[in-house]
Amino acid sequence: MALQRASRPVARCVRQSNLLNKRTLATTTIEPGFTDAAPPPPPSAPPSRTRNPLTASTPAAEKQLAQQRQVPVGSRRRRAALASTTQIPFVQLPYQCFQEARAFLREDRQEKLEAIRAQRDKIARLGDQVVVGEQDGEVERRKQREKENRVRSMGRRLAEMKVLADINDPVVKKKFEDGQSDMSKPIYRHLADAKWRSYKRVLLLQRLTQMHVMPDVLPALDPVVSTELAFPTSANSTTSKLRSVHHGDFVPSALAEHAPTLWIQPYDQGTRLCTIVVVNPDVPNVEKDGFDYRCHYLAVNLPVSPTDTRVRLGEVESQRKGDVILDWLPAYAQKGAPYQRMSIIILEQPSPAPTLTSPFGTAAQSRVLDVNQITEDPRYITRQGFKLRSFVDRYSLKAVGADLFRTKWDEGTAGVMQRAGIVGWDVEFLRKRVEPLPYQRMGGERYR
Amino acid sequence: MSLSYQKAPSTATLACLQSALSSLRISHHAAPAITHITRRNASHQAQGRANGAKDGAGKRLGAKKTGGEYVVPGNILFKQRGTHWFPGDNCFMGRDHTIHAGSPGYVRYYRDPVRHPKRKFIGIVFEKDQSLPQPTHAVRRRQLGMLAYQMPTPPSTEPLPDALTSTVTGSPTKIRDATAVSVRHSSKNPGGLQLSLRPGYQYRQSNYEIGRSGEKKEEAANAQGKTIRAFAKFKPGDRFAAWRKSALRIARNNERKAMGRGGKGGGKKKVA
Repeated sequence: MALQRASRPVARCVRQSNLLNKRTLATTTIEPGFTDAAPPPPPSAPPSRTRNPLTASTPAAEKQLAQQRQVPVGSRRRRAALASTTQIPFVQLPYQCFQEARAFLREDRQEKLEAIRAQRDKIARLGDQVVVGEQDGEVERRKQREKENRVRSMGRRLAEMKVLADINDPVVKKKFEDGQSDMSKPIYRHLADAKWRSYKRVLLLQRLTQMHVMPDVLPALDPVVSTELAFPTSANSTTSKLRSVHHGDFVPSALAEHAPTLWIQPYDQGTRLCTIVVVNPDVPNVEKDGFDYRCHYLAVNLPVSPTDTRVRLGEVESQRKGDVILDWLPAYAQKGAPYQRMSIIILEQPSPAPTLTSPFGTAAQSRVLDVNQITEDPRYITRQGFKLRSFVDRYSLKAVGADLFRTKWDEGTAGVMQRAGIVGWDVEFLRKRVEPLPYQRMGGERYR
Repeated sequence: MSLSYQKAPSTATLACLQSALSSLRISHHAAPAITHITRRNASHQAQGRANGAKDGAGKRLGAKKTGGEYVVPGNILFKQRGTHWFPGDNCFMGRDHTIHAGSPGYVRYYRDPVRHPKRKFIGIVFEKDQSLPQPTHAVRRRQLGMLAYQMPTPPSTEPLPDALTSTVTGSPTKIRDATAVSVRHSSKNPGGLQLSLRPGYQYRQSNYEIGRSGEKKEEAANAQGKTIRAFAKFKPGDRFAAWRKSALRIARNNERKAMGRGGKGGGKKKVA
């Protein structure tokens, strides 16, 4: 049949490439039962004589398929091609140029792995060296500092080399683009970080600056972790649907009644402890004719790592993932008041002492904040007038990420406030009359 | 007198001389005559709207409030064409780039290199001794300008009817019911029609409904024990039915050919 004749060269290529060592270039370990391509369809004539709608191409096979009460999928030509080639794994695509390029990259990667090994040895040797000098002398301290600096910069270089070893691998690129990246590996973290910085981070920064979160909530902020926010549509956040919210969106108050889920994605290695604060800097204060701060949520000691990113703000305590100091207070804005910015700030807790980061990448341990000490301080357990700047200074935290949403009065706000037991749901804000400037009457001769 | 001799001969003199000498000339293809040199005089429309009116009425642009002056919300601070000045703190820009005051206070004219390296801003401060721009990381000075009142009619606090839990309520055609027209049931339109306003201001069925019309008619006919099909439903492998159908078709075609309309193209037959 002409059809089978046409698909023969492709089939031959695949048969030959089966001889090649699979995954010779792959840098990632593979879980059992996982392949690059979808599981191949069963062959066109298995012993049980059941026909596959993807591969049945001859009239007889189609007839049998009809007896199975199945309809063939796609054109006859396509089915014939699939029957003779199955599904070719990506790395075995029968293109000579592609395969030669892979061989070239494989060699290049071997060289880079050698370099990484050499760099590790170098760092280990340097770490073993003992600084010799007069005891407790200025010279010795200086030498020690120099050594630490060298180890640190060599560690940085090592991390760079790890990324460079894999950056050209087509399998890595494919997996990243297919969303199968393993965030425990430096190359995937590097690619994800680059992607985030190319657009989403820029957008976040624009929202934060245009809505003046930066001078109003914190003096400055340089996000290094990306965040995503979603609100559950009912009280039970594990079972209910989530509705995701873009940075700075208006969220209906009925939706913002329950604590949201936050995805915090760091792009560097290791688990660190974080503090999450939700601050509203737009609480109207009529007495001082200005605005106050209000803390809607405060939780400390939340472990966050590149592979474990999801934080359900409502279930931090029950999952024993951290300590909640102020539980979620629904976002609300009273009628007539200007819209209120709910800024979610992610703060990294510092390491206990500024120690030398291990060159092999194990991040320094974060300090665990003492919950009792925080709860004793009335400044940080009262929601009204919560000053984030003061909190950050007091516990020497570092802002690493942020998210933002906005809220304004809508038809659900009164109900939300009543259910949460917040007073003032029947209060309305109206503009204060400002006396106009006195009309300056010119001299009478002007009107004559 | 000596001065007049030094002067170059006038064009008229030269032309005279030229005409006198031309009769003595042997060949006629000599240098061009001076009289043929064209001249353009400087001339320009000096009156009317030749160069666009430049002396129209003044537009009364410029500063309306000076620095330090007390203003109330809505006061015009600066009128301009384009943006010579930008609205700074507690100010806003109107449709024609006019800068207005956004809250009561004192006017400040300033530059803010951190915000923009080249722009000039007009802002409002609330106290006489305050200045602009504020330090880079300082919290912005803002005024509420509002008072809290008890609502005359308190809002209802029943929970919203499923507005959040269900993303799609019913079919999209039902949402457009306000603009829908219904056609009554008839033999042509079994079950009636729901016509809705489609893009392009047409009241018609949706494409999905149109596609289903044949099916619906068949259903309605089936309910009465009839069918609208000319032939029984196609059954693969029913050779007898296929033979009957093709025989019918062939007979019909033969009949048509006999009538003299069988040829392709459907036009008149050529007369030899």
